[in-house]
Amino acid sequence: MTFKNSCAIAGIGLSKFGQRPGTSAMGFLLQACKRAVEDSGIDRNLVDGCLIAMPAVMGEQHGWATRVAAHLGITARLASTMDMGGATPIGAIQTAALYINAGMAKAVLVGFGMQNNPQGVPIAMMGSQFAFPYGDIGAITFMAHVARRQMHELGVTSRQYGHIAAAFREHASRNPEAQKRELFSVDDHQKSKWVVEPLRLFDCCLVTDGGGAVLVTSLEVARDLKNKPVVLSGAGQEHGAEMIFPGKPRQRPPGAYAADAAFEMAGVTRKDVDVAYIYDGFTPLVMHSLEAFGFCKRGEAGAFVESGALGLHGELPTNTHGGLLSEGHMYGVGHVAEAVRQIRGTAGERQIKDAEVVFVNGYGGAPHEAPPTCSFATLILTKDQGSLSRGTTS
Amino acid sequence: MFGIEKPMPNPTEDTEKYWEATRKGELLIMACGDCGHRYMPPMPICPVCWSESVKWTKASGRGKVYSFIVVHRPQHPAFFPDAPYNVAMIDLEEGPRIHSRIVTEPGQMIDPTLIKVDMPVEVVFEKIDSETTLPMFRPTT
Repeated sequence: MTFKNSCAIAGIGLSKFGQRPGTSAMGFLLQACKRAVEDSGIDRNLVDGCLIAMPAVMGEQHGWATRVAAHLGITARLASTMDMGGATPIGAIQTAALYINAGMAKAVLVGFGMQNNPQGVPIAMMGSQFAFPYGDIGAITFMAHVARRQMHELGVTSRQYGHIAAAFREHASRNPEAQKRELFSVDDHQKSKWVVEPLRLFDCCLVTDGGGAVLVTSLEVARDLKNKPVVLSGAGQEHGAEMIFPGKPRQRPPGAYAADAAFEMAGVTRKDVDVAYIYDGFTPLVMHSLEAFGFCKRGEAGAFVESGALGLHGELPTNTHGGLLSEGHMYGVGHVAEAVRQIRGTAGERQIKDAEVVFVNGYGGAPHEAPPTCSFATLILTKDQGSLSRGTTS
Repeated sequence: MFGIEKPMPNPTEDTEKYWEATRKGELLIMACGDCGHRYMPPMPICPVCWSESVKWTKASGRGKVYSFIVVHRPQHPAFFPDAPYNVAMIDLEEGPRIHSRIVTEPGQMIDPTLIKVDMPVEVVFEKIDSETTLPMFRPTT
């Protein structure tokens, strides 16, 4: 049994999202899960698994995934709370397929719910005693160091980051669900205030309360449901990939292996990718990813984004929903949902013609520790070619 | 307002010698007794050869700037009065890379436009209170 083409995403669901301090993380999750099940059209009694991302800012929550299953009234054969930071949903989709292939589950919900203001409870600042005392706290200071090194080593400019942010905002302006839709230019980006130099406000993703879920089934089950299946053709992961700390000497940038593994499994090349969904917590992460994943050679991502390559009519249309930077911080599930819409052909005015091969990645980890760690999880999603035997030899 | 105290070191068995040394004006790093690798942050096994014969050793205190950032909007409210402030990552000449801050002298933040990547720096010690002394770095010529 192989992973390739054995399973599919049959349903997607995003909760209401935005600045919504009144809804709990669990509330968002339940709404998203319900919507994913309804979107798929599956009989809800057939759903038998829940893989749920650990709610990062809520502290200890034992049995979180089991609680989701219990609230949904699912008889779960599988319920597990997972944590790879922002890479969790993409990683958990892979895990769901493994359980399904092993015959241990049939229809698995993968979801997250996030409430940034949990009842006024102060956010516990545990963290590293070698970084926190200097005020180096959070993902943003980490990414600011990454940006500083990109500028120093590769000559990347703040304006080039602006091209990334402006392209995704242009996409979001066509997404009625997006949290931010007002267009801005690269010049506007340059006028946005410093948050952590060299990063400006428009280099940073939005703060979003919300939830999202997808339903994973075998390809066979998905074919009997109402939507065209979106096939899991390739997958990869890479963990512990230090970006700014001297770890083991590495020949290739962090994330390269995760991308290679997915492309190799799917049997497609970078040139075959019709649309890409790159985890965009911050603009320098997109710059890094374009090179690490092999869409650009080292040092060429800056010129690539300046050329308009990420636009809807560009060489590599990317984050057509607006991404974390403009649609909202939907933990990568927003990326997967839009990838699914593209392959189904339901992305409306954001539709890329004949989108059949889509690259998606999730990124996450613990920037709060020294050394900061990262996780990359990747998927190649493809249109169902209709052949039962394609790539599924056992 | 909650949590307005800065998150200062809370030493553990693995780190207390480091903080003890800073109070005496010494910068320590970890050294592997088997392969000689020098590393930070401290941990009980060598990250290269996994030897358990690791010990603290004195660093020269010289290094250069690997990266620096200027925090205008801190993530933690206790740092609001300090903003904008710099955080630098320093490559020590023995190899380890550590977080710190560039100052002109202890307690005196430097004009951030004067900080450059690869700039040579040396350690100075800034006493925060009776418990905590933080290593900072100042430019050398």
